[in-house]
Amino acid sequence: MDNYIIEVKDLVKVYKTGNIKAVDNLNLQIKRGEIYALIGANGSGKTTTINVLTGALYPTSGKVRILDYAIPKDRKKTANFIGIAPQEYSLYNELTLEENVRFFSLLYGQSKSEFRERLDHLLTILSLHEKRKTVVKNLSGGMKRRVSIACALIHDPVLLFFDEATVGIDPVQRKFFWDYFRSLVKEQEKTIILTSHVMDEAERADRIGLMRKGKLIEEGIPSELKEKYHTSTIEEIFIKLSDVGESE
Amino acid sequence: MKVEDKNKNINKEQKKTKGNQELKTFSWKRVLAVTIRILNSFKRDPRTLGLLIVVPSIIMIVFGLAFSGEVKDVPIIIDNQDEGFDIGPISLDIGTNITDFLINDTRVDVYLGSYEDNIQQVEEGKYIAAILIPSNFSEGIYRLSMGYNTVIEIIVYIDATEPNVRASVLNSLYDALAEIRGSQGIQINQIIAHGGSEYTGLEVGMSASMAYVLSFLLLLISLVTLIREKISGTESRLYSTPLTATERMLGYVFGLTIIGLLMIFAIMIFGIFVFGIEVRGSILLLFISFILFGMVHIFLSLFLSNYAENEFQAIQFTPIIVIPGMAVSGMLIPIYSLPDWLEPLSFVFPLTYGVNIIKGIMLKGWGFKELWLDFVILTGMIIIFFVLALITVKDRMSD
Repeated sequence: MDNYIIEVKDLVKVYKTGNIKAVDNLNLQIKRGEIYALIGANGSGKTTTINVLTGALYPTSGKVRILDYAIPKDRKKTANFIGIAPQEYSLYNELTLEENVRFFSLLYGQSKSEFRERLDHLLTILSLHEKRKTVVKNLSGGMKRRVSIACALIHDPVLLFFDEATVGIDPVQRKFFWDYFRSLVKEQEKTIILTSHVMDEAERADRIGLMRKGKLIEEGIPSELKEKYHTSTIEEIFIKLSDVGESE
Repeated sequence: MKVEDKNKNINKEQKKTKGNQELKTFSWKRVLAVTIRILNSFKRDPRTLGLLIVVPSIIMIVFGLAFSGEVKDVPIIIDNQDEGFDIGPISLDIGTNITDFLINDTRVDVYLGSYEDNIQQVEEGKYIAAILIPSNFSEGIYRLSMGYNTVIEIIVYIDATEPNVRASVLNSLYDALAEIRGSQGIQINQIIAHGGSEYTGLEVGMSASMAYVLSFLLLLISLVTLIREKISGTESRLYSTPLTATERMLGYVFGLTIIGLLMIFAIMIFGIFVFGIEVRGSILLLFISFILFGMVHIFLSLFLSNYAENEFQAIQFTPIIVIPGMAVSGMLIPIYSLPDWLEPLSFVFPLTYGVNIIKGIMLKGWGFKELWLDFVILTGMIIIFFVLALITVKDRMSD
């Protein structure tokens, strides 16, 4: 049981506005050191799930445990251990790159020297050194995404949530991000939960969960799933499962 | 052949359409599209739509009521020491006649009492004037009417910091004298309160405006800043950090207070040094008062921002507070001149206390002794708004 960094049991989230069931009886168990990808179309409940897991959104019912803490009750206790890069960049446009990252660093109680050291490391890895003093509103979408990731990583969390982190960026940058995610897991023993609506991204994750209409319709290692459904891509599995769902 | 004809027709149509588009440099259809788009946006935002109707209505009602009459019900003290004068069977008691006339005059609200005992009350703002009718008043009037050369003096100890209020008191007194016997030969000796402070309308207006400008701008800027954080998505990111709602709000308060300080400096420099308004009280106390008054608005905006969903709604909140506040705070007309039922409303607005404090310090030389209650109320408002903000603040995404 200790091996799971995230445990979700029968999670339901119904938005009062519009009475929309965004997450429907979701069960998840994610191991330490995994890259787990929640894959699904827009509106399938991926972001809602991430928001519940990070404690930003309260569930309607069900149990969520992160690092063995009950969520949302102990959400502020887990906050130091998790980092999130939301789907929107959620940055302060009028601040510089460095000011944005420093703001989050202060929230996590870092000293100035810790911040400097960590920032230098992140700016090198994320190739952002030159843009250090640039006001965020003047950065490109891909750069803003990197800044958002730097904000999520500044306090060196063990658990990372990247919501649609690779959306809207070119293939070169996408490869860069995936290589970086892999290095985080391999070299720094992080756990990454990410969401994407791009099916071929799933191939790169250790395990994937396919979501549709708030439900987890399939879960497993990408290669094993392809074998199981006799397909060459995850997208085909998704279509197959969606057809079954529709006909039901 | 048929296919060729068809293609020709299509090309013709395309050319025609293209031609039309090129010809129309202005299109009412496009104007209409924008108009409909704007109206649809409002239709989908019922709170803004409601505010659009409610805000102007409230403002117009309050202004209409506030300005429906002249300055009236000015509180004054009359010390009628007139002993009367008997001329055979006829008994003259002109001091009482004048007092009765003033009691029935709506411009003043008459209290009877000792002149000496109530001079201090005028200094402290409880009464605007204390009028002393001398003991030989009736006799003097009789002597005047008989052609004797005599001097009759009515002493009026009066607060002259508000010219229109002062004029209202003096006019009512002149009217009373004119009604009873005519004011010829009677001297009205005005002793100006607050060490002889007489100010022009500009000086009186400017001191109140300093409070108003701070109130209006700080509320607007605070609300927009807070709403911007909410709608930019940055606030929801903060929900997943160790930052608590209380820490977040206190951070906002300190940040906005520093912004407020810059505004206070600008307002004070312009009011005092550029327009040369004399500060009869302590400049330090004035500065502290501005900070306290400004902080009320910051805490109020913290509370209100929990209810506004976009910048437009935040901008709507501002006039609903500051414009009726301007009408009922004593800034334009004295609170006691408001219709009776509207008077309690003035005590709800921070501007009422802000105007009283700023005018008190600047024009009357008041200190903490005279203004302590206003300071206590403003501090109480800060506590209430902060508690309300804490109760209503969101520390997670809404359902």
